[in-house]
Amino acid sequence: MTVAPSRRFGRELVTVILFLTVAFLIAPVLLTFVGSFAGEWSGVFPSEFVTLRNWREVLGLAETIGSQRSMGWDSLLSVGGYTLAVPSELLFSIGLALGGVFINLVVGVPIAYAVARYDFRWDEWVSAISVLPLVPGVILGVAFLRAYPDLSGTSFGLIVGYSLLKAPFMVMAVRSEFESMPLQRLEESARSLGASWPRTFFTVIVPNARSGIVSGAIICWTLAAAEFNFSYIVWAKGTQPLALFLQRHISNSSFTRAAAAVSMFFCIIVAVTVLLQQVGSRGFDPRG
Amino acid sequence: MLGEYTDRPGPRLRASAVRVVAVFGSVLNPVTERDRRRRRVVALCAPFAILVAIAGAYPLLEVVRISVSAEQYRSVGFSLAAYETLFTDPYYREVAFNSLWLAGGTALASVGVAVPVAHALEKYDLPGEDVLVTLVSFPISLPGIVAAFMILVLLGNNGLVTNLFAMLTGRAATDLAIAVSASGLFVAFCYSMIPRATLILRGTYSEVDHAAEEAAQSLGATPWQTFRHVTFPQIRPGITGALILTFRTGLAIFGTLIVIQTVLVWTLQISRELATGYNIQVAGAMATVYFLFTFAFTAFGLRYTDAEVGL
Repeated sequence: MTVAPSRRFGRELVTVILFLTVAFLIAPVLLTFVGSFAGEWSGVFPSEFVTLRNWREVLGLAETIGSQRSMGWDSLLSVGGYTLAVPSELLFSIGLALGGVFINLVVGVPIAYAVARYDFRWDEWVSAISVLPLVPGVILGVAFLRAYPDLSGTSFGLIVGYSLLKAPFMVMAVRSEFESMPLQRLEESARSLGASWPRTFFTVIVPNARSGIVSGAIICWTLAAAEFNFSYIVWAKGTQPLALFLQRHISNSSFTRAAAAVSMFFCIIVAVTVLLQQVGSRGFDPRG
Repeated sequence: MLGEYTDRPGPRLRASAVRVVAVFGSVLNPVTERDRRRRRVVALCAPFAILVAIAGAYPLLEVVRISVSAEQYRSVGFSLAAYETLFTDPYYREVAFNSLWLAGGTALASVGVAVPVAHALEKYDLPGEDVLVTLVSFPISLPGIVAAFMILVLLGNNGLVTNLFAMLTGRAATDLAIAVSASGLFVAFCYSMIPRATLILRGTYSEVDHAAEEAAQSLGATPWQTFRHVTFPQIRPGITGALILTFRTGLAIFGTLIVIQTVLVWTLQISRELATGYNIQVAGAMATVYFLFTFAFTAFGLRYTDAEVGL
């Protein structure tokens, strides 16, 4: 009796595809991180380990020939002769992305609840519009330049743009959390105990959906911190958002220094993800 | 009373105006439970609607307006000159064609890879599955410029894969490097799209009916037959949804193209129109065409296929 080829090889083949895909996605990430500590990278693998020169240059701690290429430093506060300085591009992007996440929370959580909890006329349209990215960053950038010529390049313009571009991710994350909750029962029990509807929403519904809200915030923050397309079109002068800083390094710097810039970005993504997961699993948990 | 049908336009108009006022009145000053419920829905949707109106709808209308303007910097008069350029100049036709084949090809390739990846992650008991899920999802938060850099690391002149092939074949690495070429760009697009497609398909897979698959297996179907006739029909909405999403993503990609500028596509051309001479009419017309195309494509996809709405 012959055994069907899919019974003999199917599972192995599919598993091999999975591991090849993981290798394809992750190998360059690891290689970049390792390469950022190398002095030279012209063969298959980087060489002349271990040097921190690339990192120091990217962070603006070492003098570079084109000094505008490294990160600038802003003094945050001065106490008795000591100045606490922070890399300005980094701080700027963190702030912009947080602003975007804040707007996303204000607009995304309520509409996710409306779609998950209520049936109403046009609800399919509302749900489609709220979870589909309306326009890509480039188009929105052109539109902002045209509609708000003075405002588009400012921090406020960038924050509003980021929040519109990333809102669908927040709505998706929060909505799937709401959909897994017994919303009607929760709402009715709270209301039968005398809570008004707004009180029910803010003190019962929202805290119960915190894990979805936190994961939505993580996704939105990382996506907004790395937003390139919209920023590239509207940004005019002043401190650069992080993505433009990265692009400048990728296009102009040596390979090892570009690797350091990209690795710095990896570190931020990993750090913020871990941090917000900690907050999500501990900080908000009334039982914990 | 309000829904009363009449042939004459006057009273009909008045009736609908009365109805609109009645809805507004019930939202502001609800009497019944149904009114209160409506007010809640309106209140819940209002913040999002305000953001979309201010940051989305109004700027887009301004873009449509300037694209048919007769003057370069102000919205005055009416002229279809920009659209005439777009639809008659073969240069723009080629740009549109590039965008479509690149996005379409990479969407098919990415979903083709994502199906077995999602299958393995959801169906098999693999060691360290959580880690694998995290690793496959990680590139979702990487912008296009970083995806392009990843491809330079793999396939560039110094690239890992390039040099491995150079060692195996004995040819010069610079001859084998494909990062800065159309195929390199193709791979870079897939780098951004495979994780997104996998995310959608994993969601679809988690709803697949295991009992039917086990029944098919116990009746003697081979794994391939089980997949083809039992699993595949169940994940088809997810596959269509993933194709729609990745195609849209592919059309919107821009950062990758700034790093690997080998194929001229629609988004890159929009930025070039602005960079060289601030040709806002043509850029606006291109943005309008893009928006209408993706809107029509998505609406069509969701209306006439069984696709699941998703990112």
